[in-house]
Amino acid sequence: MKKTIGIFFVLILIGSGLAAQDPGDNLSPQRKQAIDSLALEKVRDLSKYISIIGDKKTQWSEAQRVIERAVELFMPNSEIGVSSLSRPDVSYFQVREYFDRLMQLNYDKVTIDWYKIQYVSDLERQPDGTYVGVITIFQRFQGFDAEKGLVYEDTTKKDITVYVKRKETQIGGRLIGFWDVLLGDIRVKETSK
Amino acid sequence: MTQIISKMKSIHWNTVMIILMAALVAVGMESCNKNTGKMTRKERKAQIEMYKKQLTEIANGTSKLTLEDQEKVISEAISKNFDDPELNNLIIQAQQKVKAVNAEKQKKEQQQIATARAKLYDLLVNKEGLSADELEQELNKIKAMEVNDSEIAELMGRLEKKIADMRETLSGGSITSQLEKSFQSVVDNAKSGNLNQANSLIQSTISKFFASEDTPVLIIISKEGSIVDYDKPTTIKNYLNFCKDQKANRNAVDSYQLDGSGKIKELDLIKK
Repeated sequence: MKKTIGIFFVLILIGSGLAAQDPGDNLSPQRKQAIDSLALEKVRDLSKYISIIGDKKTQWSEAQRVIERAVELFMPNSEIGVSSLSRPDVSYFQVREYFDRLMQLNYDKVTIDWYKIQYVSDLERQPDGTYVGVITIFQRFQGFDAEKGLVYEDTTKKDITVYVKRKETQIGGRLIGFWDVLLGDIRVKETSK
Repeated sequence: MTQIISKMKSIHWNTVMIILMAALVAVGMESCNKNTGKMTRKERKAQIEMYKKQLTEIANGTSKLTLEDQEKVISEAISKNFDDPELNNLIIQAQQKVKAVNAEKQKKEQQQIATARAKLYDLLVNKEGLSADELEQELNKIKAMEVNDSEIAELMGRLEKKIADMRETLSGGSITSQLEKSFQSVVDNAKSGNLNQANSLIQSTISKFFASEDTPVLIIISKEGSIVDYDKPTTIKNYLNFCKDQKANRNAVDSYQLDGSGKIKELDLIKK
């Protein structure tokens, strides 16, 4: 009997120890809100990067630097959907290719604005500890010609899958627990004028 | 009446007159002494004895008077001009003793000044890498020596300023505000489309404050008890470019660590 009780306490201790080792479990509302905001912020960061890359006034070297930063926001092999009012299908490109094409769009001036950036599916904890959610955005695209002015515009609703996982790293001898936010595929949901 | 007259005739008026005159002379001499300040023989003797006693103590080094008061006693004894050989001898002995004590005192003061000067220069260079508190402790030891010297006072002032600067640096006062200003300037220039100026500011901020452009930057997104949540670590170069790209200064300086040369080797920011 004593042996059974002893094993029971050892198991409890191991269990509580494991729980204490992973501060990513059982997030308090305040911490959960912090990572919700962080993920939304990453999407807003991406929207700024996209407008810089698409801006024809951005120098090539500067655009390349921003592309590097933008690519770092994504999971490897993620894809971004591209739609047009002139065709019914949606094309998907690898993230880097999408940015390269965006930089080379055949307009004299391009403006891209993202708005109504919000969660459509809240971040939910997966069995592996990763929090997964979906954020929707509306993108206003305008292409200008030097002589004709505005020649193309559309509004696209897109869904972005976000993955948030707590990781640890050593910096200056300190163990740092950080939240790694990575964006997945950007899917086109609808395109309208 | 006749009886009174006969009695008066029987008095020896010569004797009475002599007594009266002697009394008048005595009273006159007394008042004369008081008016001119001259001492009676008794007083003179008493004063000589008093000076002898004091001078003997001075000469033997047992006087409890300050050195300044001892000098006063000697000059008073000289000015009285008692013309007493024994007292004169004691005056000479006391003068020699005071002179020797003064010389010893000056020597000691010079040694203290030299010690304090050497110590203060060491502390100003701070080869041992003492903290502000440790430097202050050493400074207080020097203050306790009560060295009265203008050079020492100037060196102590410099050390006090150094300690204050170290504390200001450690508390994050000036570096924090300068960093915040630099971050905001990068953002302001980016907002106004002055990217060259923003890039120039990024370079100058890195070279002025940071150990390298790869200095790690951690951004705190949440603090709850002992659990601190960070955003993904970045570098100062990437962070400053991020401020420029996003045209936003969303984080405040939380803390930083300096390397041996006073440059930031790690920066912690926190969400505003």
